[in-house]
Amino acid sequence: MSQSSIIGAGTVVRGNLEGEGSLEIHGRIEGDVTMTGEVLVGETGAVRGSISAGRVSVYGAVQGDLSGTEAVLLERGAKVVGDLTAPRVGIANGALVRGSVRTEGEAAPAQPKRVAAPTPVAKPAGAPALKSAPFVAKPVAKAEPKPPVAQALAAAAPAPRPKEPERRPPPPVLPSLGKGAKGKKKKDRDE
Amino acid sequence: MAGTVIGEGLSVEGDITSDEEVVVQGNLRGKLTSSDAVSIGSGGVVQADVAGQSVSSAGQVTGDVSAPERVDIQAGGRLVGDVRAARFTIADGASFKGAVDMEV
Repeated sequence: MSQSSIIGAGTVVRGNLEGEGSLEIHGRIEGDVTMTGEVLVGETGAVRGSISAGRVSVYGAVQGDLSGTEAVLLERGAKVVGDLTAPRVGIANGALVRGSVRTEGEAAPAQPKRVAAPTPVAKPAGAPALKSAPFVAKPVAKAEPKPPVAQALAAAAPAPRPKEPERRPPPPVLPSLGKGAKGKKKKDRDE
Repeated sequence: MAGTVIGEGLSVEGDITSDEEVVVQGNLRGKLTSSDAVSIGSGGVVQADVAGQSVSSAGQVTGDVSAPERVDIQAGGRLVGDVRAARFTIADGASFKGAVDMEV
């Protein structure tokens, strides 16, 4: 049986930690942490190195990448400089992050379920043809204008419909004028 | 509650420095220094020099052990390395190989 481990607030580890079970970090670690269970970085905890675990919860400071097979959660007070990768990534209000976030894994079903659920309720006498409704409904919902980042994220989702380009906001047209010139032009128009 | 617990199933490769109690039930390779008590559980495997205010071991230790207060090897414990301490006990059933310096 693997029991939980604790790195206390007065403890500094220079090296790598690896193992099964859960780990609470209230002290300092300079090295990589690899666990199968949960890793919790407490308020006083500071890690310089990457952490990969089933579930990573951070209340303290981490300088390094975080990856979770289940989830990565940054709680209020967390300071993270590094990339986050997990099927579920949570960043609480008051947590600081500098790095890229990638949600990948098997947690995706949560969204399709939400879309599919209302369909049978709305049309209880649905014929087999209606079963495809969720797939049709999805791109319609997607057609709402999205910021470029959201569009890039959605790129992995089902194929886009040909109609979609019509509803997209027009591509930004940036006049090739200098900063000063642009300001002046506006002023001229106002007058 | 012990300050730091290296639980069963956890392997640490590197140095541990602490000013609180350290309990090792897992594996440690490197160095362990604490200004408080250090105890190594029966499942603990330590390949490191260990220094603490006092050191008590029921596990397997390979490395030098030093403590200003005392070093105890409990029954079932195994220590290969030199011991430097004011007091040193080896329980019945413990094994030890090394030199002892009790600062006489």
